[in-house]
Amino acid sequence: MVSEDNVIEDSVSVEDDFDGDDYEYDDGGDDYDDDYGDAGDDDDDYGLVEDDDVDDPGAMVSRRPKLGYTVLQEADIKQRQEDDISKVSTVLSLSQVEATILLRHYNWNVNEVHDEWFSDEERVRKSVGLFERQVVDVSDASEFTCGICFDLLPCDNFASASCGHPFCQECWQGYICTSINDGPGCLLLRCPEPSCKAAVGPDMIDKLAPCEEKEKYSQFLLRSYIEDNREAKWCPAPGCENAVNFAVGGGDFDVTCLCSYRFCRNCTVEAHRPVDCETVTKWMLKNSVDGENVNWILHHSKTCPKCKRPIEKNQGCMHMTCTPPCSYEFCWLCLRAWSSHGLATGGFYSCNVYEAEMQKGNVDAAMRREMAKNSFEKYTHYYERWASNQSSREKALEDLNRMESENMEKLCNVQCTTMSQLKCITEAWLQIVECRRVLKWTYAYGYYLPEHEKTKTQFFEYLQGIHFFFFLKAEAGLERLHRCAEKELDKYVTADGPSSDFDDFRTKLTGLTSVTKTYFENLVRALENGLEDVNSTACNKTVSPRSPASPRSPTGRNGKGRGSRGKESPRAGGASKNVDDTSK
Amino acid sequence: MANSNLPRRIIKETQRLLSEPAPGISASPSEDNMRYFNVMILGPTQSPYEGSCYFLLIVENVGTQCLTSKLSLVRFLTKIYHPNIDKLGRICLDILKDKWSPALQIRTVLLSIQALLSAPNPDDPLSENIAKHWKTNEAEAVETAKEWTRLYASGA
Repeated sequence: MVSEDNVIEDSVSVEDDFDGDDYEYDDGGDDYDDDYGDAGDDDDDYGLVEDDDVDDPGAMVSRRPKLGYTVLQEADIKQRQEDDISKVSTVLSLSQVEATILLRHYNWNVNEVHDEWFSDEERVRKSVGLFERQVVDVSDASEFTCGICFDLLPCDNFASASCGHPFCQECWQGYICTSINDGPGCLLLRCPEPSCKAAVGPDMIDKLAPCEEKEKYSQFLLRSYIEDNREAKWCPAPGCENAVNFAVGGGDFDVTCLCSYRFCRNCTVEAHRPVDCETVTKWMLKNSVDGENVNWILHHSKTCPKCKRPIEKNQGCMHMTCTPPCSYEFCWLCLRAWSSHGLATGGFYSCNVYEAEMQKGNVDAAMRREMAKNSFEKYTHYYERWASNQSSREKALEDLNRMESENMEKLCNVQCTTMSQLKCITEAWLQIVECRRVLKWTYAYGYYLPEHEKTKTQFFEYLQGIHFFFFLKAEAGLERLHRCAEKELDKYVTADGPSSDFDDFRTKLTGLTSVTKTYFENLVRALENGLEDVNSTACNKTVSPRSPASPRSPTGRNGKGRGSRGKESPRAGGASKNVDDTSK
Repeated sequence: MANSNLPRRIIKETQRLLSEPAPGISASPSEDNMRYFNVMILGPTQSPYEGSCYFLLIVENVGTQCLTSKLSLVRFLTKIYHPNIDKLGRICLDILKDKWSPALQIRTVLLSIQALLSAPNPDDPLSENIAKHWKTNEAEAVETAKEWTRLYASGA
């Protein structure tokens, strides 16, 4: 029962911690929000606010927290944009429209606007096109000739930007519509008078453009807030309309959108820790060149090593069982008997070590070594593993979704338990998805490891297959977790009534989840820190493998789970022992 | 006919061009289509094009409603050796492209073209060869321009 409490607490603490991150951001930004929140609400505060900011413009930067990021939905983006506009409008005592034009000009950087404005207001006004007074005085005329259509019209038919150059509304409309339909350049629209630089702001659009163009314009304006902003990017997931805002230089490169897509904020490719952006770009390019052939071969030509029937892999785990009557059990990666995969035969998944496999010395391996000289073979090797983890990851995501939509409720009913007690299952699946992602990228990493650097490569092998506490452990741990979440869970879903050992199962699953998590964190850190660092870390790990993360956690390099890791690790150790016992 | 429903802008512009012509420039609408202007620009003094006469064609692309799209066509009909004008007579001039504003008129455009003849801009070229020539050996390029002026543009 103690363990059960732990389980619940654990799952909650992870969740809390995640929220905590978000929260911390808000906390940090609180003063900042309040400042202009007040200012926007109440003009009396205005003097005070201005003092604050003028005295120490840098204060805002330092108050802004350096860690983490915030996912913004459309409403949040609008809100932030409006907040920024109000802030600038209050501090510089400009209209909202002028503040908008100004912010757009300085890529929505509030600080830059302030700095520039206070250093040389005249110059800023000139380059942005905000005129304090009209440069042409037309107040006493009762009718004008429009400079575009040459029609003589009464003065209420005219409109002008801050410069005062009058054009008739019909011509304005045409001018504005053409510009809006030409694209986001309309945000930089200037007065039609050729020598005049006066900006045409949202107020003119609002007054003069038809509905459809107004809608387009406001979309451009909203998008500009993300696209022109150095601190924000759109989520690259198809169909996702969220954006992510991050403080420059702080936190991890990997960010997770609300749509659960994880991507690298630097290169906006899907998250690829521990591999760097450059390698990823190279790898993706290579895949796009060679990928389609390899892909086809891989996905259509794997046959059962025994009965030779073609097999399409549609389950997450690498442990394959051919359909009866063959029933041959083998490893999907190396196509050898599953029975050869175990601690006794040189470790689970030793098949993942490319060179090591070649060095086993049997005829088969010798032949393959010959082929390995062919770079395509090498590429295939790594691509195959990259791709199978990729598809495993997709499958795991599907499974997770199906689990949440179908099986959870069923499981609740069958096992007479609550949804919160089943949280560990979701977490296990999320961990699987994450692990497959990391594993996938380790193969891109492996492919680009220079072969001539013998020591390093050997070290990578050491890391990947021979060293017990990193790759091997990580992948073996993952396979166990995957099997547990996939196959063993099935038993409980399809059971007729509550199973007596369901609590044990949950404990086991939670244990496996956190153990696997730790292993993968170690792996990622080892690869990220480069191999030299691995050497020393590895030695430490050998001494005390069960508390690897705690000394590093205060540095807060990892966004998630930072605070809880210290607590987690010992528990993970305990649970894993428990798991080891039950699985034997 | 093309001349019916002609926007007031074109009529006004034509009237102004005829009544107060800019120095060194004459522009008259074509008889069968008022949107076509036949233009003649005199080569500016103290330029390689001095003492010559260039013919241009302008087709004003003025819609019936909005006057916002660019002038659809301004083209030299006379051969000219100039870094910003190519052998088809197309002109590289900002106000004909991204700096176009509907408040510009044929008159302003023609004045700009006249200014371009006075001050060729080889740093933003249309014909690369001529620009290269201009930049590496300006004196020689100017000589070539004068030669072309004599050969092709002095017939008027």
